[in-house]
Amino acid sequence: MSEVAAPPGGWLARYESVVGSGTLRALEALARRLRGHRIVMVNTTKTGGGVAEILHRVVVILNELGVPTTWEVMEGDDRFFGVTKRMHNALHGHVEPLTEADKEVFRERTRIEADRLALDGDLIFIHDPQPAGLIEHRRLPGQKWMWRCHIDLSRRDEAYWEFLRPLVAQYDTAIFSHIGFVPPLDLPTYLVPPSIDPFAEKNREMDEDEIESVMDGLGLEGRGPWVTQISRFDRIKDPLGVLEAYRLVRKRRAAARLLLAGGGASDDPEGAEVLAEVRERAKGLSGVTVLELPSGSDREINALQRASTVVLQKSLREGFALTVSEALWKRRAVVASAVGGIPLQVLHERTGLLVHSIEGTALQTIRLLDNPDLRRELGSEGREHVRDNFLHTREVRDYIAAFVSLL
Amino acid sequence: MIAPFCFQSVAHLEAPAGLSASSIDGLREAIERAPDDSIFQHVTRILARHPHARDLPGNDFARWVRTALQAPEAAERLAFAGSDPSRPLAEVRAALLAALGGVPARDRRREAAEDATFHFVRARSVRVPLDVEAATPADAVSLWPQLDAAAVFYHLIEAPLRGDVDGSLAAWLRAAGATGLARAAEEEVAEGRPLERFRRELGARWRRSQIGRRVAEKASAPEAERRREATAAMARLADRLREEGEAR
Repeated sequence: MSEVAAPPGGWLARYESVVGSGTLRALEALARRLRGHRIVMVNTTKTGGGVAEILHRVVVILNELGVPTTWEVMEGDDRFFGVTKRMHNALHGHVEPLTEADKEVFRERTRIEADRLALDGDLIFIHDPQPAGLIEHRRLPGQKWMWRCHIDLSRRDEAYWEFLRPLVAQYDTAIFSHIGFVPPLDLPTYLVPPSIDPFAEKNREMDEDEIESVMDGLGLEGRGPWVTQISRFDRIKDPLGVLEAYRLVRKRRAAARLLLAGGGASDDPEGAEVLAEVRERAKGLSGVTVLELPSGSDREINALQRASTVVLQKSLREGFALTVSEALWKRRAVVASAVGGIPLQVLHERTGLLVHSIEGTALQTIRLLDNPDLRRELGSEGREHVRDNFLHTREVRDYIAAFVSLL
Repeated sequence: MIAPFCFQSVAHLEAPAGLSASSIDGLREAIERAPDDSIFQHVTRILARHPHARDLPGNDFARWVRTALQAPEAAERLAFAGSDPSRPLAEVRAALLAALGGVPARDRRREAAEDATFHFVRARSVRVPLDVEAATPADAVSLWPQLDAAAVFYHLIEAPLRGDVDGSLAAWLRAAGATGLARAAEEEVAEGRPLERFRRELGARWRRSQIGRRVAEKASAPEAERRREATAAMARLADRLREEGEAR
């Protein structure tokens, strides 16, 4: 994850230029309703992954708003993280066995960490399944506990969920990113979509010279117009479908170039397999560049998105797909599948174009390649849509409102 | 003497409403049973969810029927049924049901793909006092540009719909004798334009309506004060022109 030093005056002051002073004043007023309370955030990592990335900002913003907030990281050994990795996959819908030994590893580590962590706030905010069991050991009278699930549970493995559900049922509130991800639960449940940081390395403003220099560095200078999908090499992101759509585009718009860029191949055997297949399939097509990006390539991703004429997200299934908001924030014209959280971000014909097939992807890509006015229009509305709905200030507002509703 | 108007903002917490639909008939049944908070979320709150849109998207039902069911005629009817944000929620619900009642049988049978089921959401409002008060209608006009979009939405749209008389800015303006300002606000709301645009237009309309009063006030001020204010106004105008010149 890219660390960005706090700017002079703090993050909130910086956000004023993006969301306006009225929005910040309203946020401050909302935060005043939490006066006298203290929040403790808990997850399992300070580095890597979207949750840690969000927490780095959200914790700072909450403190700047006058809501004392600390961040505790639950630790574990390889056995524990082996179990929670399988749990994560199973909750996403991959079939994984859950043994009694796995359950015991989970319980044992939870007990140890419950003794160690400073869970002394009155609002305890637990992120994802790994630390979910802490509530059994450390709930103090008067504390309110909130469980924030960042995972899509719509295809959950029931064995894992049945193990987790009695723990989640002890919380005062649960929060999910999208209504389609919510399992049946007998507790107040709210929907809070994730958000992006407009000042992060991946999203910050970049001038043409810098974009060009990054593109040069990647060997991609001056060869557009680029049609780009930036996603890890995973079957559900349908990179082969993107190649097929590009083959159709290329027949009609020979100048178009395709860029498939992403990570996830170096530490994931399945990702490596998909990448190899994509490279093999791309051999038969001219104008295709396949880039494997190492982790921490935020500057490159920023430049690649900004240099793209059309950004694709042709997934077969999705979680929330914040890459779409990242592209929209950069005023890019987006063609994306109507799955998961994408339709919340892409309002068809307003902030981008939704598609349901390879042919649809090709057709809408051609339409955008031919129509700079439409690209500009969608890009500009897309940016406003992200400003209104998918920046960290909105996510913080929702969290505070959820806490206020508990008090 | 009327009590000051206390401005508030609002955060809307979204929650599952426990209803879903995968066809026109299913949507009709669910709209009949949906709580008011859900109709509010999917139709009225569109303005608050897209305050900076240049062109306001249709309500959620209309967009779903167009994209998931590919039924443009029904989508148009639904979009129109929900296009007046000042309409009471019971009337909105009735208009949506009437729009769906007129959908041809062939369109009613269309089924959305499994992943495209429409799940109903409800919005719970968490109100936030802003510590900003208007003692007079003129104060309200001058404070108007400082409010966030959610506050504008609450005072002009949500509070009247929810029967919160104390939170309705138009009701307060009327009670304070500023009938023209109240009427202007209600007319702008009924036009259903995107929130930031209608906030700007209403602000301009309100300021214009205050010109006569301000001129009368200034005319009765002592000569020295009038000269001082005229000099300051000219300096502000010169600054603005200079800034505009530099920006160009």
